Amino acid sequence: MAASAVFPFMAGGAADGTKLPAGALALSDLTASPRFGLKGGGSAAWLTAHGISLPAVNHIGAYHGMRILRLGNEDILLLAEGAGEALAELKAAWANEPKGYSSWREEGWAWLRISGPHAPQAMSRLCAFDLRADRFGVDDIAQTRVGHIEAVTFRSQAGFDVLFDVTASAYFARTAAAAARHCTDLLIDTEGRP
Amino acid sequence: MKLLICPMNGPRNIDEFQSFGPVRAEPDPDRTADADWSRHLFRAENRRGIVVEWWRHVPSNYFFLAERDLVTNEVIRTFDPSERRDQS
Repeated sequence: MAASAVFPFMAGGAADGTKLPAGALALSDLTASPRFGLKGGGSAAWLTAHGISLPAVNHIGAYHGMRILRLGNEDILLLAEGAGEALAELKAAWANEPKGYSSWREEGWAWLRISGPHAPQAMSRLCAFDLRADRFGVDDIAQTRVGHIEAVTFRSQAGFDVLFDVTASAYFARTAAAAARHCTDLLIDTEGRP
Repeated sequence: MKLLICPMNGPRNIDEFQSFGPVRAEPDPDRTADADWSRHLFRAENRRGIVVEWWRHVPSNYFFLAERDLVTNEVIRTFDPSERRDQS
């Protein structure tokens, strides 16, 4: 049996055979995209010393094509979708003179993107937090519950990105598909991509 | 749904939080009489009034303090632990 396209990859595991909805509500798995989480005393100062201007807590900044998520005073996540080289450079510098510690977000967290015209409607079913455009801006972060699990969510160009415990990715895909079934006026294939 | 105001994340549903109980004195075990140490370990206060408690906002793993009225269960205020350190 082929391993699932959804993390964690494991033939016969919980995510095996999980389908990601497609169409008016689409889910895509970015878990394999490069990212780096830095946490603990000194991490903010280290990043600042390397030229990154850090946003306020629960806001997003940018540096060399990366998105800089400030999840706490000393809890920062760098998302490097399409900016792998810039991140590799920074990680190499950090390995030479580490400050704080790696929070292993590249292995511990799944990264799913909810997109399509029904994304806002589905998110309002999945998350109790007010994510309407006039309340929740492009550089805002919500650390809350999405689909009943602890998650970090923010806007992407396509819709919303959601980061959560990687072991719950199959559960999350099913929960998003269930929310999609309530959005009935446009076509959604809940048995979409494997 | 009951709401609690997280100092870092703002007002959230109470089920996003975990309670860690009241802030307690930290007596030095070497300088405390056995009876007092035993009281510290095994006896919980059960009084009326205002208590300061540890809470955690689970999705962001952020620990903070809340002042709560033990009779009315009203949360008077929530604040970052650094505020308490500044006071003492």
